[in-house]
Amino acid sequence: MDDYATVIAMLNHTWFGAELAPETQERLAKLGVVTGFESDEVVIHEGQPSEKMGILVSGRLALRTLVPGKGLVTIMSVEPGDIFGWSSVLPGMQAQSSVVATESCQALVIDGARLRAALREDHALAASVYPRVLEAVGRRLRATRLQLLDLFGR
Amino acid sequence: MITSPAPSQAAAARQWFLARGDLNSLIDALKESGRRVIGPTIRDGAIVYDEIASAGDLPAGWRDEQSAGHYRLDRRTDERLFGYTVGPTSWKRFVFPPNLTISTAHRSGQFGFDQPNPEPPQLAFLGVRACELAALAIEDRVFLGGQFQDEDFRARRSAAFIVAVQCTTSSGTCFCTSMGTGPEVHGGYDILLTEIDEGFVVQAGSPGGAAIVAALPARRPSHAESGAAVDMVEAVRARIGETLPIPGLAERLKLQLDNPRWAAVAERCVECGNCTMACPTCFCTAVVERSDMDGKLAATDRLWDSCFDSSFARVAGGDFRARPQDRYRQWLTHKFSTWVDQFGTMGCVGCGRCITWCPVHIDVREELMAIAPPVPPVERPVAVEPVAASPGSFSIARVAGVKAETEDTYTVSLSDMDPAFLRGRPGQFVMIALPAFPAVPISISRFRSNGIDLTIRAVGPTSTALTNLHPGSKGGVRGPLGTFWPIEDAYGRHAVVVAGGVGLSPLHGLVDALVANRDRFETVSLFYGTRTPEDRLFQDDLARWAASSAIDVAVTVDRAGPEWKGRVGVVTTLFDKIPWDCSKVTAFVVGPERMMQASVQGLISKGVPPDRIVISMERHMECGIGLCGHCQMAGRFVCKDGPVFRLNDLGEMFNREGI
Amino acid sequence: MATIGSTARPRVAVAKFASCDGCQLTILDLEDQLLEIVSRFDIVEFPEATSRRSPGPYDIVFVEGSISAPEHYDQIKELRKQARILVTIGACASSGGIQALRNWADHDAFRAAVYEHPEWVESLATATPVSDHVKVDAELRGCPIDGSQLLELLTAVLVGRRPQIRDEAVCRECKRKGIVCMVVARGEACMGPVTTSGCDALCPTYGRGCFGCFGPRAGANAASWSRGLQKAGRPPEEVWRLFAGFTAYAEPFRSVVTELGAKKPAPAGPRR
Repeated sequence: MDDYATVIAMLNHTWFGAELAPETQERLAKLGVVTGFESDEVVIHEGQPSEKMGILVSGRLALRTLVPGKGLVTIMSVEPGDIFGWSSVLPGMQAQSSVVATESCQALVIDGARLRAALREDHALAASVYPRVLEAVGRRLRATRLQLLDLFGR
Repeated sequence: MITSPAPSQAAAARQWFLARGDLNSLIDALKESGRRVIGPTIRDGAIVYDEIASAGDLPAGWRDEQSAGHYRLDRRTDERLFGYTVGPTSWKRFVFPPNLTISTAHRSGQFGFDQPNPEPPQLAFLGVRACELAALAIEDRVFLGGQFQDEDFRARRSAAFIVAVQCTTSSGTCFCTSMGTGPEVHGGYDILLTEIDEGFVVQAGSPGGAAIVAALPARRPSHAESGAAVDMVEAVRARIGETLPIPGLAERLKLQLDNPRWAAVAERCVECGNCTMACPTCFCTAVVERSDMDGKLAATDRLWDSCFDSSFARVAGGDFRARPQDRYRQWLTHKFSTWVDQFGTMGCVGCGRCITWCPVHIDVREELMAIAPPVPPVERPVAVEPVAASPGSFSIARVAGVKAETEDTYTVSLSDMDPAFLRGRPGQFVMIALPAFPAVPISISRFRSNGIDLTIRAVGPTSTALTNLHPGSKGGVRGPLGTFWPIEDAYGRHAVVVAGGVGLSPLHGLVDALVANRDRFETVSLFYGTRTPEDRLFQDDLARWAASSAIDVAVTVDRAGPEWKGRVGVVTTLFDKIPWDCSKVTAFVVGPERMMQASVQGLISKGVPPDRIVISMERHMECGIGLCGHCQMAGRFVCKDGPVFRLNDLGEMFNREGI
Repeated sequence: MATIGSTARPRVAVAKFASCDGCQLTILDLEDQLLEIVSRFDIVEFPEATSRRSPGPYDIVFVEGSISAPEHYDQIKELRKQARILVTIGACASSGGIQALRNWADHDAFRAAVYEHPEWVESLATATPVSDHVKVDAELRGCPIDGSQLLELLTAVLVGRRPQIRDEAVCRECKRKGIVCMVVARGEACMGPVTTSGCDALCPTYGRGCFGCFGPRAGANAASWSRGLQKAGRPPEEVWRLFAGFTAYAEPFRSVVTELGAKKPAPAGPRR
């Protein structure tokens, strides 16, 4: 059992959690578990059912995908404040890439099934969590588009 | 720009002097030749063109005062007959009548169409100014220059006998000097008059003109009289000045179709169409049918129409130019831009009628300057006089060492060179060549105590040859050239250096300078993005800077293998969480153009002021000093006016594809 | 549709609401064409010309006057039912006319001030254009209408084409006629830039500024012209008078009249 005050303090240091209403922060703090990952630890496996969403508090995670002929490619890194495992709250619930810690990390991790159930029944929670998930996904979409443009193309 | 038959040298040289009191002899001679004389005369508070019986009908001793939406007559202190400029009438009225029956149809007896083709009136135009001759020449192109021609215009135009008058006065709405149409008359007349103190200096410009001049009670002018005629017109040119910069205007206007000023001017414009009616070149017409009640006779009239009419571009399905700003834009861009495409000249002669006769005081000169202002020259101090600037002359430098930065990029250290190179500034470049290899522009990436570093990607023959050099080899350099980073733009602010790929090279010297003067800036940071970790330049320096407290370094790569522990994501993701007040950021950005565009867009959306974003452009360069023309970018030479530009120096040019 | 060659003469009615009959007189003033007109049209109703009454239906109904009294409501609807083509003639029918100024005033107070027994006077608080009540097929503008526009409309009906009634600024007729602009050259007030053409620039031809009796042309920038006149030194009261003169209730003049009316001091009110 985590000390909620500590978890809420952690949330307040992330863009994802900082502006949430106090009761929503408390709800998330109760749902989540503060978890540490060691460097090189695989947090989520690409292609597997998504079982957790997390908010990275410190450290760095790499989103990796297996590209035939090129091996494992890091397509993006997750920096403190950002989320990972968003696919666990979107239909399909299948991980789009592997999430690997590149250094030791701390994150608030929420079980996917519990989060989905909570979002279904608590509309206030859903109304504040989904826009942020969308913002994060939208930002990745924009970054991916720029990657497709190949800014450094030669 | 206007083509008119120039008078022969002999005719131009043969001048006569006609006393002012004898001008009637000219009018009489014109009338005796079977012509009605149309000239300036006062009616309803303005000088209009109408039939005149004698010189007594001319506005002797009057002058006009004109400004936007304002016209008044006033007495002169002398009795000059042409001491004013152009009024509300233009000669268009007499060669292209405002209301003309172009065909009639009858139903009585046999059905048919008749085209009235009366003999054109035999008119003499007295007092045609230089801008008006230019307007007639433009109408010639419009009506007679294409596959289909206006026969009525042709008949009236060729019947007209033209007595031109050079302007010896100007008004506030004149801008012929800008349009290249006046005040001097160059051909296109039968007789030319220049009014001086006591009378007229007269020249004939056609055989018909010469015949009439020969019969006048004229004598040869004195040198003083001929000289006065030239001086007076020159004085008018000086008085008008060049208020509207025309070079490049046609092209600039085409890039300003979305300018918000169109909507602003449309708020004022009442769409009365007076500008188009007063304009001596506007040629749009409407065709109107009329018929009598028993249906036996029908006629088709052609009226002067105006593109300001809300129905002008309407079809059954709607209006192509539905908004007032669409119509204003259509008119102005036609006059000053698309007319050139259609007829080879601008549609404006600078007579100023559209300005004077606009009841809501709209001045096209002001609108053009606001919508498509001329590109102001980039004014930058010269860091140091370059050595061996002209192409072909080179200063010799020795290669001290070559260091691989990435798979295809090397830093070539030069030494034993002219000390001027060491006094160059970060952002500048040199042209470097080897025997048998053409010179290429390379940014100076570092200034050392005994030379400079050039960081070169091996992509072409010269750059590949340069990266293959051994220490001790010699090369030819010219420079340092171009503009440099305005480091003072970041004093007291957050200095942010944004580099993409090899773009870090021209920024390296800037980072060194920022670090060396660290206390002048609020913060100093470097955001560096490359495609992969292996593409990072200056890895030793990056590590050194990252370890220093003087500068924050954030590096990101687009993609990486599992061994890369650093950040992955495009360079713009580094802006997401900039902790500072972005209005206090000065950003220096270099990278491939697409990366710079994405970065500039990202910085502006975060609130960085566009005039505090400085970029370095890359273009093909052959000479490096603004003579070869290769690096031209819409009015700029990147080599001479750049390569370092403030974003607002470039304006619309940045982010435009294909410039 | 009666066209050339057909023997049936179109039945024409002229109807009148609140108006001065000036437009009807314009028809009678077409002396040279009157015989031609009556030989081609069967004029069955014309209060200014004949007391003969004839029930509908009619091919053309010319309507003069604005809708200003309660009984007008039913009358105009009945006329519309009887008319194949309904044409409004004049400023009153097309825009409400001068009497539409009451739309900004206290109608009851006016009525009480003017009439001994106001309770005997049946009148509406507003004077409104015909087009506010029924569909109008064509408008002949002006106070009064222009004879040639009327002839053109009649001719067009006979020939079976759309009448050529241009909607352009009066300035354009002025410029084609070579009239010097009195606004620019003499600093005088003129409604030409915002007023629709059709009068052949009648007032400017005689050296007077346009009074705007033909009303606003489509899309007229009345706001800018109101500013322009005031910038040229015309006091707001005078600008109000110009816009309020004949077609005050026609947008966009209506907005200018409302805006300037709000600024101007309240009128002294009618006296007994």
